[in-house]
Amino acid sequence: MQAPQGGPQRIPMENLSKPIFAQDEMGRPFIIVKDQGNKKREHGIDAVRSHILAARQIAKLLRTSLGPRGLDKILVSPDGDINITNDGATIMSEIQLSNEVAKLLVELSKSQDDEIGDGTTGVVILASSLLDQALDLIEKGIHPIKIANGFDKACKIATENLELIADEVKIDTESVDANLSKDSDLFKAASTSLGSKIVSKCRDKFARMAVESVLNVADLDRRDVDFELIKVDGKLGGSLEDSKVIKGVVLDKDFSHPQMPKQVTDAKIAILTCPFEPPKPKTKHKLEVESVEEFKNLQEYEQSTFKRMIEQVKQAGANLVICQWGFDDEANYMLLANELPAVRWVGGSEIEEIAIATKGRIVPRFEDLTPEKLGHAGTVREMALGTTRDRILVIEHCDNPKTVTALIRGSNKMIVDEATRSLHDSLCVVRNLIRDNHVVYGGGSAEISCSLKVAEAADKQQGIDQYAFRAFSQALDVVPTSLAENSGLDPIQVLTSLKAEHVKQKNAYLGVDCLGNGTNDMRQQFVIETLIGKKQQFLLATQLARMVLKINDVIISGKDQY
Amino acid sequence: MSYGGQTPTVVVLKEGTDTSQGRGQILSNIDACLAVQDTLKPTLGPFGSDVLLVSNGKTTITNDGATILHLLDVIHPAAKILVDVSKSQDAEVGDGTTSVTLLSAEFMKEARQFVEEGMSSNVIIRGYRKACELACKRIKEIEIELKKGGSKEEGDAEFRTLLKKCAKTAMSSKLIQANSEFFAEMVVEAVQCLDPEELDETMIGVKKIAGGSLEESRLVKGVSFKKTFSYAGFEQQPKKIVNAKILCLNVELELKAEKDNAEVRITKVSEYQAIVDAEWKLILQKLDAIVATGATVVLSKLPIGDLATQYFADRGIFCAGRVASDDLERTVAAVGGSVQSTCSDLTPENLGKCGLFEEIQIGKERYNVFEQCPEAQTCTLLLRGGADQVIAEVERSLHDAIMIVKRAIQDNYIVAGGGAIEMELSKYLREYSRQIAGKQQLIIAAYAKALEIIPRQLCENAGLDGTGLINKLRSLHSRGQIWYGLDFAHESVANNLETFVWEPALTKINALQSATEAASLVLGVDETVKSQPNQNTVGSQPVPPPGGRGRGMPAGMPPTQMHMS
Repeated sequence: MQAPQGGPQRIPMENLSKPIFAQDEMGRPFIIVKDQGNKKREHGIDAVRSHILAARQIAKLLRTSLGPRGLDKILVSPDGDINITNDGATIMSEIQLSNEVAKLLVELSKSQDDEIGDGTTGVVILASSLLDQALDLIEKGIHPIKIANGFDKACKIATENLELIADEVKIDTESVDANLSKDSDLFKAASTSLGSKIVSKCRDKFARMAVESVLNVADLDRRDVDFELIKVDGKLGGSLEDSKVIKGVVLDKDFSHPQMPKQVTDAKIAILTCPFEPPKPKTKHKLEVESVEEFKNLQEYEQSTFKRMIEQVKQAGANLVICQWGFDDEANYMLLANELPAVRWVGGSEIEEIAIATKGRIVPRFEDLTPEKLGHAGTVREMALGTTRDRILVIEHCDNPKTVTALIRGSNKMIVDEATRSLHDSLCVVRNLIRDNHVVYGGGSAEISCSLKVAEAADKQQGIDQYAFRAFSQALDVVPTSLAENSGLDPIQVLTSLKAEHVKQKNAYLGVDCLGNGTNDMRQQFVIETLIGKKQQFLLATQLARMVLKINDVIISGKDQY
Repeated sequence: MSYGGQTPTVVVLKEGTDTSQGRGQILSNIDACLAVQDTLKPTLGPFGSDVLLVSNGKTTITNDGATILHLLDVIHPAAKILVDVSKSQDAEVGDGTTSVTLLSAEFMKEARQFVEEGMSSNVIIRGYRKACELACKRIKEIEIELKKGGSKEEGDAEFRTLLKKCAKTAMSSKLIQANSEFFAEMVVEAVQCLDPEELDETMIGVKKIAGGSLEESRLVKGVSFKKTFSYAGFEQQPKKIVNAKILCLNVELELKAEKDNAEVRITKVSEYQAIVDAEWKLILQKLDAIVATGATVVLSKLPIGDLATQYFADRGIFCAGRVASDDLERTVAAVGGSVQSTCSDLTPENLGKCGLFEEIQIGKERYNVFEQCPEAQTCTLLLRGGADQVIAEVERSLHDAIMIVKRAIQDNYIVAGGGAIEMELSKYLREYSRQIAGKQQLIIAAYAKALEIIPRQLCENAGLDGTGLINKLRSLHSRGQIWYGLDFAHESVANNLETFVWEPALTKINALQSATEAASLVLGVDETVKSQPNQNTVGSQPVPPPGGRGRGMPAGMPPTQMHMS
């Protein structure tokens, strides 16, 4: 490749590599592509290699967070916010990346998060491990796409094997509360997913919260869980132990007047989206008051509107007003005088939530208020949190019991945030189990079993696929080895002995004993992962590997945004 | 007077070299096209690799020739012709954009030797045109019609499998190769949803939803679009309606000032309330009129405010505001009815119908789905995939496949792919060339040779022994095995008609014609006159002198490109 002479010096030479660059007979370079000098290009195996190295870098970052003994990361955002987490998706979304392939990995963990909500670390590690293995094969001279094809086939075998070794967990549909007991499968599953998180010291509490909230909103016949109905609210103060599930709606508001009663039982709620003030036309208008009499009239009009509004509310039978807008002190006083507790400035989505929970209707005008449109809740009370002056409103015993709010307390913001994320993960696990109660066992046992299966199939392959199969099988080993490493065990020894046991005992449930419970049988330890989650991990990781392997030309244009 | 600086110039200019006017120009134009070809070469065929392009911070990973060339931002005037060729192939046929570029550049490459030897461009162009004509005629001779044999139903099923084969071939080079069976089914299904007369592919909507695996993509025989922004009260609306009646509007349903600049002067307090009431009346009238039609789903291009949302929720009607206009148009096409721009004259005839309306959760997005539409001439592909780039590439691949299926339906003649048809044409032209005397013989033979670039590049990308396999193919073709092409599964050759590697004949004819046209165009240009750009970049690019750039200078003269500053 001839490097052009005298080109602009600031550009490294490889930028002007041959294909988008030509020379005339005199060897003088001429430009074909716009802003060529600003474009960077990488070609062939080099491109693949640099991608794989980038992926490896990312995986290295996440690897120590895998498993119950995984460590947390502190992430400091550009504006100085501190975030402590070991949730793969969160870490990936917080770190600022400039490498394109690394960005692909971020999206990978994100889509695992969106779909399954758990296993976000594992998928990234698996993908990068696959790429790592592919690199060896590429260096041997195997065509990247053939490797990708082989991976696809191997992945198919692995997912088939997953279905074979999958187990069913019991969900007690008869008595829902039975699932809340410590021995129930759902509870244990939720507890496992919390194992690696900061909340592990009160994991029973959180597991219970997760199961309780999901079961509350779950439709067990349709096997569906609507996450919109579960709200997770973090509040600073107190300890993690004080967290709880409230079957109802929690509002970050208080009653509009301090003298209003702090608790309303058997509340009939008027949910309003209009302000407590004389209605104003939307069209631009101007009222010219020309005489004192007019002015008095105006005042009277305002007074009478207030009165009428309160009357209308009373007439409808409401004893609590929840208003999307504000009202001034005068209105506030009148509400107090009329013994109508009220809440003002409630956000639109909360209004909706309350309406759903209390089976009320959102009313846009006072004229439209009727008794049927009122929502109903058993108790509405104001709750003070600790000694702070923060107050929250709790609406409980609603007509529609499906809405739940998980209130998370913690001593600092980072803990609250991380606990919120952890709870979300375990909510996802419980939801997935309700959707599909097939599980595979964790601790790397599923990976080891698949790895053995794929390795076995490798020998039956003809041609290059053999290599790809072996590579796939080795790539799967990364999960148990990382788990062992993070738990302070000897990874190689653990892996090899486990593999030997798998073959000897024909027991697919043997995994890494991360917590030192004395048994490797994950079924006994009840360390489970959902089948769909694991399958998804395999599929997504293989898909990404194919995508990266297929790229052999990278053209990055101008850095003009800098 | 040194041009030791050797600054790269934007315009091809050969300075101080040749006395001849245009030949150098032609040659360097050819060089430029070859450079573009080089970029595309590795992407051809089932083992073609992808290109990752980053421009303006947006990442695209693709294998589609037209997309690559578009994003490459080619400015060289001659090389731009190649970009246009690929674009026109994309517009006309939708697939084969890489091969058309490759062919075109290869034709130029073969012509290069003749230009160097001093043959007139016109002679070459004439030869190429002739060759192209012959090649197209040959395709017409040997193309095979996809027959709808047997009874109607049987024939349909058979025809369908044939279409699937075509779609699979189109997908074989893409990311979704491993899932091509799945997607081929989907594509054929989608195309068959369309009105068979028009086959307007814009009626196939594609929605991309990140997450999930590729195989979780699905086809909705009807319309689907993402849940629009909603106001409070939306959640209380029904989310599943059987036998829905759909009203499509272009009306804003919100309590607001009717006229923007109107101002009301109120003199009496009593009038105040009257105006408020009047405004309410306006919107309530609209809403009442809508409810009166019996519609159960209301869609609008313009916002539907919170008041209307709650009003509809109270009456068990689903509504969605700010629906994108192409989504709304497809909805209308699927469910019937028409888009209304006023609420004053609504009749039940304006309503569309569909068997099932539902809001479903996909990944973390919610989608509105209209199914079992009476006039289902439209469908929607909901694509899933691990990352946005993956889905974007899937979309491009499916577009190609859809176009191919569409072409195959409209013009149901096919030829075998995998280099088979190119080898056959090459053989045919070579034989023909031997029968004529004169320069044309050489040119047609060159054209024949250029056609071999396709199988050769296919081999190269797959890491196969190109020379050996092409020789094998040549000998097979000379023995009359016209459908033999490359077989990647066994790294050998096979009868591609039997292995179902098919492409519509039209794609090939169009590719040959436009590639030949483009090559002729470049060969016919011997001078580039480029007007001076309005602002000159300082530094790397010298200021070009005004006037006829690109003209060869007499020997010994100082080059025009002097350092003017």
